[in-house]
Amino acid sequence: MTSKEYDVIIVGGGITGAATARDCALRGLSTLLIERGDICDGASGRNHGLLHSGARYAVTDREGAEECIRENRILRRIASNCVEPTEGLFISLPEDGLDYQANFIAKCREAGIDAQAIDPAEALRLEPAINPRIIGAVKVPDASVDPFRLVDAHILDAQRHGADIKKFTAVASLVKEGGRVVGVKTAAGEVIRSREVVLAAGIWTAGLAREAGVNIGMMPSKGALVIFGHRIANMVINRCRKPANADILVPGDVVSVLGTTSDKVPIETCDDMRATPAEVDLLLREGEQLVPSLAHTRIIRAYAGVRPLVVADPAGDGRNVSRGIVLLDHEERDGVPGLITITGGKLTTSRLMAEMATDLVCKKVGSSAVCRTADLPLPGSEGRKPSFEDPFVERAAIGRHGTEVSRMDFGKGGEILCECEHVTRAEIAYAVEHFGVRNISDLRRHTRIGMGTCQGSFCIRSVATALAEILSPDPRSAAKLSDEFVSQYRQERWKGITPVLWGDTLREAEYMQKVNGNEI
Amino acid sequence: MRFDAVIIGGGYAGCTVAGILSDAGLKVCVVSEGLSLAVSGSKTPYAAQAALQKHGVTVLRGDRAMGAKVQDGRVLGVETRNLGSGTILEADFFILATGKFFSRGLLSDKEHIWEPVFGADVEYSSDRTTWYDEDFSAPQPFMDFGVKTDASARVLVDGKALENLYAAGDIVAKGCKEANVTKLIEDYARRDK
Repeated sequence: MTSKEYDVIIVGGGITGAATARDCALRGLSTLLIERGDICDGASGRNHGLLHSGARYAVTDREGAEECIRENRILRRIASNCVEPTEGLFISLPEDGLDYQANFIAKCREAGIDAQAIDPAEALRLEPAINPRIIGAVKVPDASVDPFRLVDAHILDAQRHGADIKKFTAVASLVKEGGRVVGVKTAAGEVIRSREVVLAAGIWTAGLAREAGVNIGMMPSKGALVIFGHRIANMVINRCRKPANADILVPGDVVSVLGTTSDKVPIETCDDMRATPAEVDLLLREGEQLVPSLAHTRIIRAYAGVRPLVVADPAGDGRNVSRGIVLLDHEERDGVPGLITITGGKLTTSRLMAEMATDLVCKKVGSSAVCRTADLPLPGSEGRKPSFEDPFVERAAIGRHGTEVSRMDFGKGGEILCECEHVTRAEIAYAVEHFGVRNISDLRRHTRIGMGTCQGSFCIRSVATALAEILSPDPRSAAKLSDEFVSQYRQERWKGITPVLWGDTLREAEYMQKVNGNEI
Repeated sequence: MRFDAVIIGGGYAGCTVAGILSDAGLKVCVVSEGLSLAVSGSKTPYAAQAALQKHGVTVLRGDRAMGAKVQDGRVLGVETRNLGSGTILEADFFILATGKFFSRGLLSDKEHIWEPVFGADVEYSSDRTTWYDEDFSAPQPFMDFGVKTDASARVLVDGKALENLYAAGDIVAKGCKEANVTKLIEDYARRDK
């Protein structure tokens, strides 16, 4: 079976692929994005949700820092609905000394990052939760970003500019003719042809490239993170020292995320990433130095993602490897025309990565279209913010989807089903229609359903039933589907709960067991 | 304040035992942490309370046992948060029915699980990775954790049973569940009468 030929096929539905698809579509290229699972299912959905100011890299990676601050400013503008301008603090503890801080501020300024030293007392007034032993603090323009929302917005915009999005379609191999990559073959055997193929599949890129005889030295670097049950600080809290484990606490919506670790892991483990109890213990031990109250703050869950680092030297732990953007023109590099890889980089620099990849695609296909992604706001980010004037049931949805709420029918579906995140039936219907949601994990990524503090304990049955009713018109199969969704959801959440199963989390786990056994 | 029996915990186990003992004519006190007794439903807790009070049971709602006075292997009395350290709830015998983790009958940190009122021996392993099964729907080991008792449902502290402290309900370790506290206490009540 052969279908139409695209100008470009992008493999991978994370932020890099989604941003590249958007850029390609905006430049008028016929574009297909193909993703084996749901969009945002890999590292793009398993990170800190931190919009770097670049300060973290100022001392070690000037170029990376400059990219970050430029892109930070752009995303605040084009993705205002996904970014919360929290600002950030870099705090120094007595054991860190102040020498690093002085150099840090100088390097930040050289990179164009507005870093202001503030009095420790003032820092404690701004953020009372931070370690009172601090001897110094620097304010930087870090921010919090919702990665799910950011990827969704790119996908929507790509679609609205003509791109095709194929989810739940694995690429089995790249199709080569006379040494040239001419498309992809899906796991189902479908061949889809294109003039260029862009690999943007994160850590899974290396395997796909190898199929086409191209060797990319990639190193999976695992990062584990812990989510706490409320906002402990309103700014991003960093440690002012050489980047290390567990030295960033990021506020996101109603929770806080502490991370991360950096460990080389075997590629085979990347499909089932989970945080371990040992990683959680390490994160807490270090994190308590940053914010002492983490020791007795309720933990919701732990999770882990994989950084797709590109290496010259496969040894080492990953922290010294460049996290810079890697754009590979395989025609030039390996004599394999038709194939481009875009990897490395960060969530913060994803738009730039997309621009670089799309520039190369345009060059290859002979297009002179210019990049406009830095100027055009993403869907949802055209300026609408929730206010008290808005009806109560719509407010949370406005916060999540901005102007997109005009596509939701609150008259018909104004019932709030997930009470932590205030997700209504209308928003669920919207997610099914616009993101092709097929199950409850997809729904979670596109609406934040069950991501709140109750972790689905109270709401998951009604949410599952509502979703099943939308997906299946037959009541009997809807009931069965609802059961499947409930167990799927509980099992998925459980994976993140077990590494933090003590104290309040253990209390809730007992409660969940009883709800699950219909004892309560 | 002196009673025949003080029951710590106003859930199903505590209420059931309170009913049996008061029925048998004993002077009973129930200390229950919640604003209402800890049985489910919107009206049941109040119906249960009314029934118990009708049988002469003293129900201390919204209160919590903070510690116990133990001497020569016997519990002499229990202190509660609301009554303060000056007042001891004294009784011939005591029932620990505070439930597991959710009701804070058992507390935990990363390596330990303990029973806060009497420091009772708790059945568990200090290796946290053995507390759970990766499969959510499989039986979860932590649901089996609880205080250890002897065959007569008497609570063990440092390996020795306290003479007049019994455990009932969810707080009992799975390995000690065969000890039928209800029947034993029923017998005790009859004998005492």
